[in-house]
Amino acid sequence: MNDIVMIASVILILTGMTAAIFNRDPFDKLISLSVLIAGVFPFIVERGFLDVAIAIALIAPLSTIFTLMVCRRVQV
Amino acid sequence: MTAELYTPEFVIGLLVLFAGTIAAAFPRPKNYLTQLINLEIPGWGLLLVMLHYNEALALFTFAAVSVLSTYIFVRVMQKKEGIG
Amino acid sequence: MALEDQVPVVAGVHMIALYICAVIAVYAALRVITERNSMRKLPFLNVVSFAVTGIIALLLPHPLTIAAAAAYFVGSTLESNAIASTWAGGLKRP
Repeated sequence: MNDIVMIASVILILTGMTAAIFNRDPFDKLISLSVLIAGVFPFIVERGFLDVAIAIALIAPLSTIFTLMVCRRVQV
Repeated sequence: MTAELYTPEFVIGLLVLFAGTIAAAFPRPKNYLTQLINLEIPGWGLLLVMLHYNEALALFTFAAVSVLSTYIFVRVMQKKEGIG
Repeated sequence: MALEDQVPVVAGVHMIALYICAVIAVYAALRVITERNSMRKLPFLNVVSFAVTGIIALLLPHPLTIAAAAAYFVGSTLESNAIASTWAGGLKRP
């Protein structure tokens, strides 16, 4: 892969991971987790697993939506 | 398997797996919701590590089972805490 | 013969768009984690998603990458809108 794209993906993963660990609000944690997922996808596409990328891109928001089912009642 | 030992996704995946495991073991506001959200971080780290071994079917299965286990944990939390 | 067969895709002018997408993604991610208000994070999360969609579409010369980019676009937009909808109150269920 290109070095610049790889460095950008690594920065996305590390910032998303750090912010997802150290935030305390559940919504901030979910937003930071979404940044981490955005950093994972260029690695999947770069290896050539395009069908895996399509499947994971359509499956991964379901996990966030299932988590938000609990998140609403606790927060508000 | 023995091709190259240190691809970037392998190293980053191990780092994310380690940090996410520690964060899921010791959640900071100690409730179930924080622990459930922290549990998704080592899942993505493990997916990055599995990407190193070139097995497409394993990635499919791992993504599907990860979402299913998240749904089961959400149902358990709803039944235990009486919310929802 | 198409233009893509003559010009190599792996170097030169074609990679400027990819680099711009990478820089935009990093800038928006830094804006996401430095923002205080939780509601102001969501537009920058959308910017990260658009930039990563551009990276996915431009990274490989393969015809299926546009399908992967469209799938990621749909998924990330659904996720952001679900977070925003829940933050604003969610569905009113009796």
